[in-house]
Amino acid sequence: MDAFVNRFKGSSTFLADEISMLDGFGSYDAVKEFSQPVFEIPAVQNANCTDEKSDSECRIKIEHGTTTLAFKFQGGIIVAVDSRASAGNYIASQTVKKVIEINPYLLGTMAGGAADCQFWQRELGRHCRLYELRNKERISVAAASKLLANMVYPYKRMGISMGTMVTGWDKTGPNLFYVDSDGSRYKNDVFSVGSGATFAYGVLDSGLDYELSTNDAIELGRRSIYQATYRDAASGGSVRIYHVEKEGWKFIGLYDVGKLHWEYCGL
Amino acid sequence: MEFLIGITGKDFVLTASDTSAARSITVMKSNEDKSCDLNKHNIMLYAGEAGDTVNFAEYIQRNVRLYGIRNGIELTPKAAATFTRKELATSLRSRHPYQVFLLIAGYDITTSSPHLYWIDYLGSSAEVPFAAHGYGAYYCLSILDRYHHPNLTLDEAKGLIKKCIDELNNRFIVNLSDFKIKVTDQDGIREITI
Amino acid sequence: MARRYDSRTTIFSPEGRLYQVEYAMEAISHAGTALGILASDGIVIAAEKKVTSKLLEQTTTSEKIYLLNDNVICGVAGITADANYLINYSRQIAQNYLYTYGEDIPVEQLVQRLCDLKQGYTQYGGLRPFGVSFIYAGHDSHYGFQLYHSDPSGNYGGWKATCIGANNASAQSLLKQDYKDEITLKEARELAAKVLSKTMDSTTLSSEKLEFATLSLNDEGKVSYHLYKPDEIDALLKDFDLGGAQDTPTTS
Repeated sequence: MDAFVNRFKGSSTFLADEISMLDGFGSYDAVKEFSQPVFEIPAVQNANCTDEKSDSECRIKIEHGTTTLAFKFQGGIIVAVDSRASAGNYIASQTVKKVIEINPYLLGTMAGGAADCQFWQRELGRHCRLYELRNKERISVAAASKLLANMVYPYKRMGISMGTMVTGWDKTGPNLFYVDSDGSRYKNDVFSVGSGATFAYGVLDSGLDYELSTNDAIELGRRSIYQATYRDAASGGSVRIYHVEKEGWKFIGLYDVGKLHWEYCGL
Repeated sequence: MEFLIGITGKDFVLTASDTSAARSITVMKSNEDKSCDLNKHNIMLYAGEAGDTVNFAEYIQRNVRLYGIRNGIELTPKAAATFTRKELATSLRSRHPYQVFLLIAGYDITTSSPHLYWIDYLGSSAEVPFAAHGYGAYYCLSILDRYHHPNLTLDEAKGLIKKCIDELNNRFIVNLSDFKIKVTDQDGIREITI
Repeated sequence: MARRYDSRTTIFSPEGRLYQVEYAMEAISHAGTALGILASDGIVIAAEKKVTSKLLEQTTTSEKIYLLNDNVICGVAGITADANYLINYSRQIAQNYLYTYGEDIPVEQLVQRLCDLKQGYTQYGGLRPFGVSFIYAGHDSHYGFQLYHSDPSGNYGGWKATCIGANNASAQSLLKQDYKDEITLKEARELAAKVLSKTMDSTTLSSEKLEFATLSLNDEGKVSYHLYKPDEIDALLKDFDLGGAQDTPTTS
């Protein structure tokens, strides 16, 4: 009988903690009310072993130096990123793919922890595919980015490091969102993320015009990343460029910043 | 560096929030709306920790809407503020407290009166004639202390908000370029320009 | 025939009836009458106490009319033990609402929440329905004064005047006859006493067999609950020429 009454109370009350108001204080976890993490949240007790902010001697130094950017223009969206992976002072790779192809219509960019970005965007891809199967239509970029934000939000302050732009073309046209591991999610026409973002913004903002031709837009993206790699030690390698169009994204090309440097000098 | 302000008038509440979304030293967006409509006559302005703000605001908004759907009547400003305060106070003792600062402004249609509630992340809540959150409060509260009175007309209130924004532009080191200004009254919530 | 469908959990009979619920309602129609009348400036609730034995000590507090919250009272007909449980439940609901929202619970919500519980007991296994009906009188800022009735099935409805318990059908028709819109609380009190005097078994009414309460707004606009004391009831009955004298034990 108690079991029944308790079950019933639970189902008929407005909020879970309304009846027994003193019960919930210890175990209350507001994030569980609406967002659903895909698996149980591991208990992280101590300061995180990947968090450089709180402990410069942390055990694992994740790839942090990056420049990524994306902007809207009349022809869709240009996504441009560098390709350097650094771990502390060490350049781990010059050929990293920082654009993640979630599906033929959605792109994600990668700044912060490489594994975090890859893992969560792969997870996002799975959700987007499931959405497609269930609803017989593609997910909107707004919804996809919200899914990603909701997925990582429960892990806030647990050491995830992810600053990503989710772009794509849906029923409403081209869309660009910024999502990070703090749980922020913004919609805008221009974003740049990573340690070199300030340098990229400088070139990007001053050269941006919505009426830019596709070629000029691609050049603006390439130049902005190049300039960022020039000033930001943690960015470098090659510029990787994608163009988001109505028919989906298109890979434009990979441009070694070393070669670009001489090209731009020779002008 | 965020700024929220609210002023009650004779039969309305005027609210304004800055529109910049910043990550460390970079402004990521300069037209962000930092408010959400809880229901037809209640608006919540939010500032604070990135991620927490929107998540908490949406959580409250959905619950307030649910109340309206379930019960056929809407929460009054007082009820909405009390509910929100309680959620924050509960969250404060949890593993991850929401770090958000709120203003809840509303027009109570059962008593035909405007109300404004100032709420902080510790779960303090106070009904006030005017309120502000953020560094901007240090400049604006004195202006409001000096010029506010209970029978403020909408035009007077607009003038007051303008005084506050002008002062911020003059004295505050951070450039808060733009503000979203909204009126909540008998007819609901609407955005206005000054 | 019905035996097959009412000896276990509440399930539908082939005719589509829930016998357990109907029996619960039957139990109530033997209980002391309780009625409520909605007036323009308040609500009156009156109830008949069944005095089972002369030896029984009269309770000092009311046994038919209860305060659920500052803004809601109710009249009860049915099994008192069941009623006590539900009254306690609704008081908790009301206090919890006050805790969460800082305001008194709107009347209909309180009624609804209680009915949600009642409904649960008509459906889940191993339980019997509550054998009580309620008449609720309440006030809130949304809809002013309101009168509701709920039964063991979990059904509820708003009324201008209604009655539960023994003879409720005849009381109901009397109310229908004499109720008029814009009735004042004063007139409603008289009507309530009149109806009860006609439907109750005993010849003379007195405070021993009656409970009486009103809900109205005081000068500050706050809800005020007035549970009539025995001598107030007697005075009231005298005013209306419906008895009021203490039932003097007559010697043959």
